[in-house]
Amino acid sequence: MTANVPAGADPRPEPVRDRALPRSSGRRIGDILFSDYFVLYLSIAYFLALIPFLPTLSTPANLANLLSNMWPLLVVAIGQTFVLTIAGIDLSQGAVAGLTSVAAALLLATAAPVAVLGNAPVWGVFLGETGGLLAGAPGATTIGVALILLIGGLIGLANGLAVAVLRMPAFMVTLVTMIAVGAFAIWLTQSNNIRDLPDNFIALGKGTLVSLYFGEAETSEVARRALHAFVTWPMIIALGVAVAAHIALNRTVFGRYVFAIGINRKTAEISGVPVRRVIVTVFVISAVCAAIASILYTARLETGRPTLGSGNFLLDVIGATVIGGTSLFGGKAKIVWTFFGVLFFVLLSNTLNLMNLSAFHIDMVKGGVILAAAFLDVTRTRLMLERTP
Amino acid sequence: MTRLQRLAGGTILAGIGLGMATGASAATVCFAFQDLETEFWVAGHRAITSTLAEAGHTVIERNANEDANRQLEQVRDCIAQGVDGIILIPQDGESAVTIVAEAQDNDVPIAVFNRPPSDLSRGIIVVADNATIAEQAVDFIAEQALAAAGPDEVLNAIIIVGDLGDPNAIGRKDGFYAAMAKHEGRFNITEVASQWDAATALANLEAAVTANPDVDLLFTSSDFLFPTIRSVFEPRGMWKTVGEEGHVWMAGLDGDATACQLIQTGFVDATGVQDLFFEAEASLNAILAAIEAGEAQPNEVVQDPGFALTTANFGEREMDMWGCVLLADGFLDK
Repeated sequence: MTANVPAGADPRPEPVRDRALPRSSGRRIGDILFSDYFVLYLSIAYFLALIPFLPTLSTPANLANLLSNMWPLLVVAIGQTFVLTIAGIDLSQGAVAGLTSVAAALLLATAAPVAVLGNAPVWGVFLGETGGLLAGAPGATTIGVALILLIGGLIGLANGLAVAVLRMPAFMVTLVTMIAVGAFAIWLTQSNNIRDLPDNFIALGKGTLVSLYFGEAETSEVARRALHAFVTWPMIIALGVAVAAHIALNRTVFGRYVFAIGINRKTAEISGVPVRRVIVTVFVISAVCAAIASILYTARLETGRPTLGSGNFLLDVIGATVIGGTSLFGGKAKIVWTFFGVLFFVLLSNTLNLMNLSAFHIDMVKGGVILAAAFLDVTRTRLMLERTP
Repeated sequence: MTRLQRLAGGTILAGIGLGMATGASAATVCFAFQDLETEFWVAGHRAITSTLAEAGHTVIERNANEDANRQLEQVRDCIAQGVDGIILIPQDGESAVTIVAEAQDNDVPIAVFNRPPSDLSRGIIVVADNATIAEQAVDFIAEQALAAAGPDEVLNAIIIVGDLGDPNAIGRKDGFYAAMAKHEGRFNITEVASQWDAATALANLEAAVTANPDVDLLFTSSDFLFPTIRSVFEPRGMWKTVGEEGHVWMAGLDGDATACQLIQTGFVDATGVQDLFFEAEASLNAILAAIEAGEAQPNEVVQDPGFALTTANFGEREMDMWGCVLLADGFLDK
């Protein structure tokens, strides 16, 4: 493997497909299995199969919910995709989300109750009864968002330097970051949440550009319940991140380097790939994506939360990424796969909710699906190698 | 028929009675709760779900597993399913505001059970007067502790505070300090944070007791922490019944079965009682009435006055406390 990996594609050899010969059904199944759109096909089949049993599934309100739940998860999963591609893992994304959520509130809140936050170490320094540091300042939201991304980027930089320069395992580095940064976020507000965020910040997580109404126009007034948000600011932001990530990973030299490191770091180094710089950049991308997702989650909940990103957050992120087809062994990823993985994962969660299963059963099913996806990854890789002459 | 069955039956009859009075048809109600980690939530969950089901309503349950974002998504799913009303036990007061607004913006009536939003102006809010209940319980143990001490002796008090993002925790803390303020200069107060988490409470209480083992009085903001307190006190010889040398005067709040048993056996002296069955019934009645009336954004605050169960009034009021009812029905033996 050299640095000259073909851009925009899985750098591993493509399987030989002799289209002149009649193909067996096994081979056709194999083609579907190896297709970039496999998870999309799976999602569509799953969706169609469940509609007769869950009529709510295809209602406009439910579809709007599906989309709404998808965008923040997509952004953070895109960051994880980069890290998995270099055969790493970033366990600190949840903690980054928690810290940046608190940072957003400390910078932008327009008021804060002393009864709740008076004992927090940030009280009187970053936060007071009149709000956060930038409360009321012109361009506060823009500056605040920039600072939030900077904080995320700095944590990613620290992770990247520890992995690339000190050659520490990514699992251990990001595990420690997860614990330390998560605890720091909780300490800052003493576990308290901060409300009263400005409207233009909240619009980043809830703002709607296009709402649709399905029904007859019998009256001039339409009930709020009948309007369904389809084009939203989170959608624009998430798709913007996805397109930028797709270009970076599949259309640039940097992307080729990322794949090369994931396939074999040693070989990449010998081939002249600036391995350290690329690894650091990848961890920065991952943390910045977590910070962007944090902005979306914080804005939709209208609250800065130090515990944002705790619980099953990582299960969802890594699960969605792996289900999409990104390999846990590195060197195999596409942003479009992650998009489909997130779509399937959100659809799975939604349908399990509609089946009225308990939270425990839902998590058990999710865990099983992720395990199946990991097994499928191993199987696909093995079959692909067998198909390669 | 057991006392619990009679109480639950009373709640059910009240629900049915309301239905008959208003002609309510079977409704689909989404019951979204944050978790079932304490006796209070388990008993509340049981009272609400069984009453709704017995009255012929369909209950859609959603457990957020302590994740506010997940709870928001679950409530949105409920709204998409076209539920007639929502009963919510939120993760915290802040997320409750967002979720109540989400429901009301979609014309779905919502009632918040026990853990109130930080903004009480929207939704049906059923909440205990935590400050007053806590003050009553702490008043009792403070007076007992001072009566047993020398006239000018300064005593050491500990308060285990809850998650201050929860308005209930703030109310309980305020009630404790209101009681302490009546005896200015008589108590040195140490605050121990629990964040409503037993492991956090254990670590912080151990640290506090190690730093100063001379504890005269303790108030825990929730009864569910009594087993944790016991695990810290017992090895240090501080887990004594009233009348024994070294007894720490203790009070809690919730009124659960464990607290009832500990008052019976003399380890705990008082607990503030939230009337769980009243709160469950009030939530159900209010949401069913709103559904029946076609009211999409009902706003109402229903206050549970509560009371303090102490060793002094235990004989008369024991069975007014939901935890004692559960205890009598063998809840702790199941």
